[in-house]
Amino acid sequence: MSFLNPLLLAGVGAISVPVLIHLLNRSRVRRVAWAAMRFLHISVERNQRRMNVEDWLLLALRCLLLALLALALARPTFQNAAAVLRGRTAVTGVVILDNSYSMGMTDGVQSRFARAKKFSETIIDAMPGNSATAIWLASDVVRGLVLEPTRDLNLARKTLREATLSDRSTRLFPAVRDAVEALRRRGSSRKEIYLLTDGQAGGWEELSETIKLLNEVKRDIHLNLILISDREEHNLGVSDLRLGSSLTPVDQSLRFEVQVTNFGHDDARGVAVRLAVDNDPPSDQTVLDTIPAGTAKNISLFTKFRTEGYHAVTAEITSDRLAADDRRTLVVAATRRLRVLLVDGHPSREALENETFYLRNALLPVDSTAANDFYIEPVVVTPTELAGTRVDNFPVVVLANVSDFSQATATALDQYVRRGGGLVVFPGNLVNPRFYNEELANRYGLLPATLGPLIEAADDEHSFHLQAKAYDHPLVTLWNDPAAGTLSSARFLKAFRLQPIGRKEVRVVTRFADNAAAIVERTVGQGRVVMFASTANSAWNDLPLRPAFVPLLHRTLGALLEQRNKALNIAVGDRFTFRTSEDTLGKDALITHGEKLRQYRRIELVENQPVLQSEEIDLAGTYDVTIQTEPPVKLKFAAQADPRESRLDALTEGQLTQLGSIATIVHWQPELAWKQSGPANAGSWEIWRMLAWIALVVAVTETVLGQLFSEPK
Amino acid sequence: MAQEASAQLLDPAAIARAEALGILAREIVEGFMVGENKSPFHGFSIEFSQHREYSPGDDIRHLDWKVLGRTDRYYLKQYEQETNYVAHILLDGSESMKYGSGKLTKFQYAKVMAACLAYVVLLQRDAVSLNIFDTGTRTYIPRTGNRDMIFEIAARLAAFEPTGGTGISQVLHELAIQTRRRGIVILISDFFDDESKILEGIRHLRFSGHEVIVFQVLDPHELEFPFQGMVEFAGLEKTPKLLTRPSEIRKSYLAELENFLSALRLGCEKNHCHYTLVNTANSLHEVLSGYLAFRRRTSAR
Repeated sequence: MSFLNPLLLAGVGAISVPVLIHLLNRSRVRRVAWAAMRFLHISVERNQRRMNVEDWLLLALRCLLLALLALALARPTFQNAAAVLRGRTAVTGVVILDNSYSMGMTDGVQSRFARAKKFSETIIDAMPGNSATAIWLASDVVRGLVLEPTRDLNLARKTLREATLSDRSTRLFPAVRDAVEALRRRGSSRKEIYLLTDGQAGGWEELSETIKLLNEVKRDIHLNLILISDREEHNLGVSDLRLGSSLTPVDQSLRFEVQVTNFGHDDARGVAVRLAVDNDPPSDQTVLDTIPAGTAKNISLFTKFRTEGYHAVTAEITSDRLAADDRRTLVVAATRRLRVLLVDGHPSREALENETFYLRNALLPVDSTAANDFYIEPVVVTPTELAGTRVDNFPVVVLANVSDFSQATATALDQYVRRGGGLVVFPGNLVNPRFYNEELANRYGLLPATLGPLIEAADDEHSFHLQAKAYDHPLVTLWNDPAAGTLSSARFLKAFRLQPIGRKEVRVVTRFADNAAAIVERTVGQGRVVMFASTANSAWNDLPLRPAFVPLLHRTLGALLEQRNKALNIAVGDRFTFRTSEDTLGKDALITHGEKLRQYRRIELVENQPVLQSEEIDLAGTYDVTIQTEPPVKLKFAAQADPRESRLDALTEGQLTQLGSIATIVHWQPELAWKQSGPANAGSWEIWRMLAWIALVVAVTETVLGQLFSEPK
Repeated sequence: MAQEASAQLLDPAAIARAEALGILAREIVEGFMVGENKSPFHGFSIEFSQHREYSPGDDIRHLDWKVLGRTDRYYLKQYEQETNYVAHILLDGSESMKYGSGKLTKFQYAKVMAACLAYVVLLQRDAVSLNIFDTGTRTYIPRTGNRDMIFEIAARLAAFEPTGGTGISQVLHELAIQTRRRGIVILISDFFDDESKILEGIRHLRFSGHEVIVFQVLDPHELEFPFQGMVEFAGLEKTPKLLTRPSEIRKSYLAELENFLSALRLGCEKNHCHYTLVNTANSLHEVLSGYLAFRRRTSAR
């Protein structure tokens, strides 16, 4: 016999309490001088013997009651023999179902997850009477469907049947750890964790911690690892999908980079890859001849958007047994015309002297007859006009040698960028460095760098240049290829020394040859700001005259718009957070994911910005959002699953041996019955409940007898 | 008014003072005799005196029927009191009488009762004697018809403190032997003694021609035994202590007490004695007036 709460055994000492109470009461005897002793003597003599018997009986019952209560609280258990005599021990368990997307692998009939659910029911069916179990789902997060062990096993079964797969990846240690913690809090002699998973090695990155934890609790808690997997050699998946083009205009051919990975153990041949927009038929497809085992192939597929707005672009391969990774979706915001607001800090009648002359021409590199059909539309305003311009109508705003502007305009620009707008800053002789540094950089946190001292070259011969190679920022990696031209040929006579702000979201795009920052960028909210060290016209440098200026500017625009698209594409497990316009504040937004999800979220103020925020996203694919304004605002976003979950690598024999030393490992097979493969009733017989009942009976008996004995006789 | 005064006087300190006790007795007695012209001991101490003509409002009990039969005229008989009839007041002064659950002990209550009765007797010009006893006579005042002796009686009563055990029968036998002339014996005690011996004593007195009136004075706690919890009872007459839970033996105690009281009452009735159980929780005024009224009723028959 052992005790689950041995410390409470000390409570048996409480049997001395009735004796002590008796002794204390003796000292509190009332003394009476009495005349009619004769009758008292007769009565006492007649009743004393009976009263003594009653007293001893009550004392025995009270001591017994306290001893029983102390024993019950100490929770005595009898091992094996007693358990066999009485029957099987009640289990307090936690059933953990792996619901990562790899559990969606089917054998053509049933998925691993369906098998796991079915087998979990078998486990619950085999539990002895009075057992309790919790039902949890585990992927890279732990979700308690039935958080605490319940004795309502029908509820547990129903919950299991209704459990759904997610598109999350696997990390099982937190689930095991939480289950151990949950069971530690429970008083039970038999505590079991039933973990049903496909045994992917990727889910056991913390194997040593898991084994250590289970070793610590092996006396109390036992892990049953049920591996629901069959040997699968093949799996292909779309592991990446990116927008290759810098801009996303309507009716222009756009390039998407698709990566297909062969996660199987054999080479894959004739892999058809398709690219489709929204629910339309595929707009482009190709066939990959061979993808060697364990390698990935990148291909470019092209499509066009016919309308403005948000489009879901899906890259898809032919379905295999793990369908979850056979398609990948990206949401892109398409525009018919990209309107770029150019703020000219020094407008002049002479076109060449305008600050924005070269910018306008670089953005619109077509002759005037084709300008109206070109997808970029530059709009030039003066700094005074900027205050009255609605910047939200322009995805990108360029400040060219603007000295300073009002507080209200600065605030409006800040909000605009945080909502997803793009801002490009070119300095010049007119800029007020103090305004830029103190207001825009420090107060608003809008600029990626402050303006340092002005660097001037004495003459053309001493002009300075941009770095010639080793470009690592995506915006300029193009020029790592000498065939694409060069940036270093541009000569600079004057430039501000940019002093990047030391934050992780600030990155230097390119530098001068002397390593000083030439272009710096940062993300601000959902938007992005790119800051140049020199002018946008030829006053301080001849970059605008160079052929590289056009692609540099276009790529800058692409980078700014990409930031906007980034907010629309999140990883599974993240929350969708989207800054909306002021007029949507307090409105409800309906978020749907086909038939699988339908949730309403209210747009609320977060850091003074109206923000739409979803719950954590469990499913990959396209989500439609309707903000209930008049007229409704519609947008889309997409969630992408972690491609590592597509790997087929299973736990190695060595790892299984390690786990087997502290857990029961069961390899699922069709028609497997849990009773045969589970632990052979290795529990014990707990008798606290019986003791509690006996104590109750004793208490009732004591009360009744006490009442009976105290009646006048 | 008299009741209120007596109630004020009924406190242990007043009873302990002779003067106060005398006044108390007078207050009580005069209180219940207001409007009464006749002796409460009517029939024992009176002799025929003369006839007088009936007038409306007279008590027809006193009509002389023989004269009415012979002469057809209404005459009343008139009596005159004798002064040589003796009331022997025997008061138990044993230690058991010291018990009292409330303000008064049984003895204090009995003292007042004795004083009152003595006053009543003296008031109707009878003689009274007082005997306070335990196992024997402890204080004795011989027969006297002098009303002023009430103060001497009160003084003796007030001064007495109970100490010894109880021996009632011996005192009764002695009285029966010593007193040749018949009288009224008023016995006031708790009678915590052998009831058969007590009844023998009473029988002896009756045989000697005395009328015996028994007042058994008991405390309400003795009659009800209301104690709770663990109680240690220490006997007042040198009996050993007893530790018990009285609530559990109450029925048994009350049954024993009832047996004892019944035996005493039946014994008294057999010997044609008046038996009155006096609960010290009741007012003395009520007890005495109640008894004297009962006496008047029974004497009229």
